[in-house]
Amino acid sequence: MLSSFLLPLVVAVGLAAPAAPQPKSEDIEACLACHGDKSMSVTLPSGETQSLYVDRAAFARSVHGGKLGCTDCHTDLTEVPHAAKPFQTRREFTIAYYEACKRCHFANYSKTLDSVHYPAIARGDRMAPVCVDCHGAHNISPPNQPRSKISQTCAVCHQGVSATYAKSVHGRALIEEKNADVPTCTDCHHAHDIGGPHAPGWRLKSPELCASCHANAGMMKKYGLSTNVMQTYLADFHGMTASLQRQQSAEGARVTALCIDCHGVHNITKVNAKNSSVIKANILKTCQRCHPGATENFSSAWLSHYEPTLKNAPMVYAVRIAYMILIPFMIGGLVLQILLHLWRVVVNR
Amino acid sequence: MKNYVTRFTLKQRIEHASVMTLFLVLALTGLPQKFFEASWAQAIIGALGGIDRVRWVHRAAGILFTVFTFTHLGVISALVVTGRAALSLVPTRQDFLDAIQQLEYYFGMTDAPAKFDKFDYKQKFEYWGLVLGAVIVIATGLVLLFPIEATRFLPGEIVPASKLAHGNEGLMAFLVVIVWHIYNAHLNPDVFPFDPTIFTGKISAKRLHHEHELEYERLKENE
Repeated sequence: MLSSFLLPLVVAVGLAAPAAPQPKSEDIEACLACHGDKSMSVTLPSGETQSLYVDRAAFARSVHGGKLGCTDCHTDLTEVPHAAKPFQTRREFTIAYYEACKRCHFANYSKTLDSVHYPAIARGDRMAPVCVDCHGAHNISPPNQPRSKISQTCAVCHQGVSATYAKSVHGRALIEEKNADVPTCTDCHHAHDIGGPHAPGWRLKSPELCASCHANAGMMKKYGLSTNVMQTYLADFHGMTASLQRQQSAEGARVTALCIDCHGVHNITKVNAKNSSVIKANILKTCQRCHPGATENFSSAWLSHYEPTLKNAPMVYAVRIAYMILIPFMIGGLVLQILLHLWRVVVNR
Repeated sequence: MKNYVTRFTLKQRIEHASVMTLFLVLALTGLPQKFFEASWAQAIIGALGGIDRVRWVHRAAGILFTVFTFTHLGVISALVVTGRAALSLVPTRQDFLDAIQQLEYYFGMTDAPAKFDKFDYKQKFEYWGLVLGAVIVIATGLVLLFPIEATRFLPGEIVPASKLAHGNEGLMAFLVVIVWHIYNAHLNPDVFPFDPTIFTGKISAKRLHHEHELEYERLKENE
């Protein structure tokens, strides 16, 4: 079957003790007696070289330094010399070991089973990321310190989208200003249960992602942004359609404009930036993506998230006031007539 | 005089039944769109098969309603121009005098209620309210159905203004029908529980005498 390779037969001192909850420095020292040698490596059947060196200092600095010992993760390595392993490639070795994390991090591990990456792993895609691809192995450090590290981690594979994000209003604030409020990849996509943007329902749910910050009055006040954007969107034709379609099955979800369709996704700019898709000079083009044949007037049918006032939308405002007066006046008048009529009928009897 | 007088022709009865049906369909599919955030509205939209279908039905019914309205107005205009229809629904000075007298009667300032001809001022008010309301919902509805075409020659603001006017006019029409029409055709002690005239086309001579005395007298004279 699989040809196997033997890990170098190394004689080590006292590795008889089983994995204990408390790290024992002598365990680590015992392992590092061999694995502390930088030149220690093995050549795999694929021809790749797998280093077997562990950087003592890097491990000590890692989040697990001083907390875990080698055999807490490498639970199978109880004997010296270690038993033969059937790995053909470095990747096979990584994939075989990544599940070690779930012994402690079970909640996050089980979240990854709902991740968009997991089906790729499950169908045997060796390039799909596992724990250590994002977090590292012996040198694990907090994944969000600094916060800009998150998008750099995703950028290892998702280069195009990360470059676009880095130029967006959010990405620039994160990278250049070290802003702690702007969303980075995981705020919208999550870290472990990463949702696929092509999953059913994701599109229609996306306004919620925007709302989680843009409906937060305290946060928006800091940047002089209005939280009215959600209400004005939801009250309009597109927002109403999106809200109602969400209640139907995902297959019934037809096309309607969501936040991202006008403002963009990873390339979101300030609304008054020159290259903004919603600035007056560009908005007609944005409308025409869904409404071919739309003219300049058509784009001003959308009141740009403003509540209609006498100043910015006098016609809409006038209609609103007219009916606010007309409806109660009309219905009140008719009810009064009815009451008078009834009263007279009673009096006549 | 016979016990019954024919008040509405078959064509008029069919017209009423059609408008009534379309009005109900339009209200049922329109009001939940205006109040889409309310749970009752969402329940209706769900029961009807979702917002896309509700919109489709509302638009189809609206187009039919438009055709009916224009046909009605066209036929009436043609009949009036060729002198084959009486102007029995046109408001006159007498209607205002009748309304004032009727109010005086309600307040007990006079013991004589106003005497009416074929259509009293309330009926004329309701008819013209329907016609005017129909013109508004048809015009604004067409803007909403064809926003790109409408904004070729109208300012963009016409679209949100039409949306607001369409919903409010529809709501007002619905409330007028609920309050006024239901009272006059059902709950009014004179006709309770149901005035079948618009469906049978017939009205009893007794009621005609009571409600449209001038017409009654005229018919009697012509006998």
